[in-house]
Formats: sequence, structure tokens, C-alpha cells
Amino acid sequence: MKRLCAGLLATAIATFALGGAALAETIKVGVIATFSGPNAIWGKQFKEAIQVYVAQHGNEVNGNTIEFIYKDVGGPNPDASKAAAQELLIRDGVKYLAGFDFTPNALAVAPLINQAKVPAIIFNAATSAINKQSKYFVRTSFTLWQVAVPAAQWAAKNGAKKVVTAVSDYNPGIDAETAFGSAFEQQGGTIVEKIRMPLQTNDFAPFMQRIKNSGADTVFAFLPAGPATFAFTKAYSENGLKEAGIGFIGTGETDETTIDSLGEQAVGLTTAYHYSDAHTSDLNRAFTAKLAELFPKSRANMASMGAYDGAHLIYKMIELAGTDGDKAIEAAKGLSWESPRGPVSIDPTSRHVVQNVYIRRVERDGGRLVNREFDLVKSVPDLGFDR
Amino acid sequence: MILISTIDIVRTSLGGTGKLLPVAILIICAFAAFWLFPYDLGFLTQMLIMMVFVVSFDLILGYAGVATLGHAAMYGCGAYAAGLFAIHASPDPLLGLAVGAVIGALIAFFSGLLLMRAHGLSLLMLSIAITMVLQEIASKARDVTGGADGLSGISMTPILGVFEFDFIGKTAFWYAFSVLFIILVVLRVLVASPFGLALRGIKDSPSRMRAIGTPVYWRKVTAYVIGGTIAGIAGALSAQITSLVSVEAFNFALSADVMVMLILGGAGRLYGALIGTLVFMTVRHVAASIDPFNWLFVIGFMLLAVVFFLPDGLISLPRRVAGMIGARK
Repeated sequence: MKRLCAGLLATAIATFALGGAALAETIKVGVIATFSGPNAIWGKQFKEAIQVYVAQHGNEVNGNTIEFIYKDVGGPNPDASKAAAQELLIRDGVKYLAGFDFTPNALAVAPLINQAKVPAIIFNAATSAINKQSKYFVRTSFTLWQVAVPAAQWAAKNGAKKVVTAVSDYNPGIDAETAFGSAFEQQGGTIVEKIRMPLQTNDFAPFMQRIKNSGADTVFAFLPAGPATFAFTKAYSENGLKEAGIGFIGTGETDETTIDSLGEQAVGLTTAYHYSDAHTSDLNRAFTAKLAELFPKSRANMASMGAYDGAHLIYKMIELAGTDGDKAIEAAKGLSWESPRGPVSIDPTSRHVVQNVYIRRVERDGGRLVNREFDLVKSVPDLGFDR
Repeated sequence: MILISTIDIVRTSLGGTGKLLPVAILIICAFAAFWLFPYDLGFLTQMLIMMVFVVSFDLILGYAGVATLGHAAMYGCGAYAAGLFAIHASPDPLLGLAVGAVIGALIAFFSGLLLMRAHGLSLLMLSIAITMVLQEIASKARDVTGGADGLSGISMTPILGVFEFDFIGKTAFWYAFSVLFIILVVLRVLVASPFGLALRGIKDSPSRMRAIGTPVYWRKVTAYVIGGTIAGIAGALSAQITSLVSVEAFNFALSADVMVMLILGGAGRLYGALIGTLVFMTVRHVAASIDPFNWLFVIGFMLLAVVFFLPDGLISLPRRVAGMIGARK
């Protein structure tokens, strides 16, 4: 048994050591995400976007074949995420990890990628602090600081004086509240009240009353996309906040995968975010057209974009550094390219994507609702990294 | 149909030669698993931790007959306690386990004082409520627990100063196995002791036990505290091996899964808990990788079949088959 263990260890070491060799080989990329249960939409969007990228760009880089391996962790589950990463690194010998929809799932692999020196590309998990846990993390999604601060600046410039913040009471919500609040006060506005709403509730009528009573002219909201947003926007229009002249500004509430179920009540909602599938550029049109061709029932959202750009970044890193993790991370720093969401680059210190944040309004476009961009804040980095 | 009386079960578990056989099988199985699946040690370790957890629930449901749906409360508290202890006090794994055990016991004691007075539905509801309160505290106390992001930054020194946690997960596997093994040995002694017999008696007929002078309430609280201690150890193990604790440790689904695993394997039998965990987690792992969307059907049908045809769980399968063959002759 000892011999087998030793042999195993030797093979593992050998694979790591030979990693940098520039021979034509199959380079495996392990994608860890949620493919089952109530959060399965994340894995689905990731996988489809990667398949679109591969369909557009082939599966070869410098003569090496790229192979994606998908692992399901069934939701926010750090234990499963770590076990999946171990399996991918040891059995499958992956040279890159990717995916990570939830923050705990990303944090759980930090010690592993530090030891294995394998880059991990985060397609979603949006807590700024993740990238501090390992120098092998690179993120292609967004952070709440990155979108909430531009939202505050835009609101202040467009007539908002007194704002009430209403956020779901969990970490991303608190991030959004702090980011928006500090930026808005810096612009000379006042936050009249900070409301934290329970994550589980779907009855927002009492909060609407508080928002009305607060005397604010605008409400900044942060809720997870889906049923909570549906109930919140419903309460917003039913309780006459719109008529009372209280404006709405949010971030990712009007996500493309759930926007049509929000219905008519969503029309006119203003949000600040980094990607809309209605973005007008040839690259985005090519991306959404290919997605519609391969997966007619799907619609691109921020998760698709995180995965699409993540796949691009992995291709680039392989092109520049092969399978050498340290070299690949160095190569990724400062990289810039034109993405379907607009111009993006990787900030060398935070290893997070620098991108435009768009101000959008929900409009009806034929049979569906879209986030129509009408203003933008250029080249926003992760503003939460140094907090 | 053959009926096995309580006495028979106790006798077999006390028997001389039969005593060592399951222990030997367990050790052989561990070595076999380690040898045959060297790439799946992460998953196997998770399974071992879950076995510790399910065995702790077996003591409460299987032996004392107390049905709760909030066993994750002690697991989660043990996990957070071990995680916080590792970050703020000492990164020694064994001390961390002890802290997890103590916190699990304390939570079980204080909640048990209330819970063990309740029965049936109200007991189920109360146990769920306590777990939800704890989960809410863990997600609100962000400065201490990290909230929804999870408690990260847990690092461990080598076990006993010798065995370092390695990348492949060999140390973690043997660490979890040793803990499971010790707990099983302790529990075997415990369930065969007069205390264990009293628990069985309470399960079968609390009023008769009261009539012969057993303090039913305190016996149940004691069993709950012991179960809580072991659940705390399971939580601490998971915190140390994953190096991260998330609020999902308090999930209702976790308490429910534990009950399903136990019923599947056979409640009231220590090895039933192990078999149930093994089968449930293996089927989930395999079925989920084949069809991530519909694997729950498989688990559901399996549970239905077991409940209808093997009410005593999978562990009674050999006896049932032997009984059927005997009946035919």
C-alpha cells in the first residue's frame, strides 16, 4: 500500500512539475458550480456560455486541446466545493479551476489552489475579499461596490437628494448598503433611512410604508433576483410609490433570466449594472445570436457573461503561459480585451475585472422585457478591494 | 415474518465472538476504500464525517425514540466553535474537536431541557425552530461568523504535531476515520450498558419505565446531550477539514438528510447508521453526476422500497433474506 501511495504522490508531483512543458497536450479546466436544485440556473448559464465560446473560438490553443469538466456542488456548499476541487486537481489533473457561483464555495478552495498553484477564475461570487485569500484568484464578474458606487454617483447627478436604502439582510445586501451610502454621502446627498429586510420574506408592504414615511425622493434597493424582487417591485407599484414620485434605483434585480416573470410592473425600473443582453455592439449580437442558435430557450445574463469572459481569459492565459499557474496569473494581470459587455481589463492588484457600468431602464422590446442602457460610468474597478 | 426482540439485539451486540467481527469489517472497509479510491478521498472523508453525525442521531432517534428535525443545531454550533477556536485561540485539531464537543453538549443540554418535555409534532416544530434561530444568529453576527460568506481563515497544525493535513486528503481521511472508530467503540459500550437498555425501554414504553422508577425525562436529556456532543464533534471535523464554515451547516435539509440516512440504514442499530450513510451518499454522488436534475427520484424510490419491504432498514436485509429462505424450507 505504501508503494501505491508513493507512486501516487510521485505521479501527482510529476504532473505538477511537468505542467510548464510546452508540448501539445489536452489541458483540462474544472468548472465547479451548481447544476442541481433551486440554484441550478447558475451552472446552466455558465455551461452554455462556455459552449458558445468554444463554438465561436474552437477548442484548441497553440495546438493544445482545451477540455472543460463540470462538477456539481448543489448550491452554497463549501464542503462539496472543496471535495470537488480536490478530485479535479488530483484525479483529473486540471490546470485551471473556474466557476464558483457562491462566495463560500470560492473561499473553500483558496488553500487548495495556493498549494497546487492553479489559477481559479471566478465567474460570479461577488464578495471583494475573496481575491485576498489567494493570489491565484481572478474574477470576471463584478462586486457590489463596483456597481453600487456608480449607481449612487449617477443618482446624485440626476436629482436625487434624499435616499432610503432597502436591502436584503445578508452579506451582499450589507455590501450594497455601505457602498451606496458612502458614495452617495460623498456626493453631498443624504441617506434618510437604512432598511434591512429579512431574506426569507415576500411581504414588502410594511417596508413600502416605511419608505413612503421616510420622506425620501429615491429608494435604492438590493434583493436577490427572483421571487423576492418580484414581490418587492409588485409592492413598489401597488403601494403607489411610483405615483408618489419616489424613484427606484437598483443593481441586478432585473436579471434577464427572471425579468419577463416580473411583468409590466418592472417597466421603468432603473438599475446600474455591468451587463445587459440588449447591449448594442456587434460582439454582443454575435454572442446572443450564437446562444439563441445553440440553446433556443436560454437568455444571456450576467452569469453567462462572467463565464464567457472567464473562458476567454482562460484561453488567453493558456496561450501566454501554458499550464504554469504562476506565469498564467502574471499574464492575466493587466490583460485587456473587447468583451460583449464592452471594453474590459484585469486590474493587476485586485485581479478583478475593470469594466463599464451601465445605467439601464427596463423597457418592452417586442414580446420581452429588456434592460435598455442609456448612460454609463466608464472603467470602474473593484472599489471594495481596499476596504 | 420473524420478530426480533430487543433482548436478542442486545445479546448479539454483547456476544463474545460477534463483538470483534463488525469492528474488523469496518477497519477492512476503511483500508479497502483508501486503497481502491485514492482519488476520492475528499468525498470519502465527507462520508465519514456524515457517519459520525448520523450515528449521533441514531442514539437519539434509534435508541431513545426521540424524533427531532433539528439535529443540525449541534452540528453547526460545533463547526462554528471549532472554527472560531482555531482562528482565535489555538490551531490544534484535537483541542478544536474537544471545543466542538463541549459546545455541542452545551447547546444540546439547554435546548434539551425544553425539547425533551415535548412530544410528537410539537417536538419536531420546536427542534426546527431552535435550529432556525441559531442559523439566523450565525448569519446576523457577521463580525464574528462572517455571515453568508462563511467563516474562513481556519488553518490547522499537524495532528499530535506529527500528521500534517495534506493536499490529497490522506490525513483528513484517517483523522475522520479514527474519530468515527473511537465514537463507535464508545457507543457500543454505551448502548449495551444499563443506560442504553433504559433508553430502549423508554422507546418501547415510557409509562412502564416511569412505573419501574426510571427518571425518563433526565434519561432522555442525557441521551440528547451525548448525541449533541457527538454531533458537535462531527461539525468540528467538517470545519477543520474544509477550513470553512457556512451558515448552511444549520440547514433544515441537513437535519432531514440525516433522518433519511438513518431510516434507510436502520434506526436503532449502530451499523445501520453507517450503512444508510454509505448507501445514501454513494447513490447521491453517482446519481447526481449522471443526472443532476432527477437524482432525487432515485433516493425517493429507494426510501419507499426500504420503508415498505424492510421496515428495519437495509441492515435487516440479510436476516430477512435468511428468514425467507428458512420459511420456504
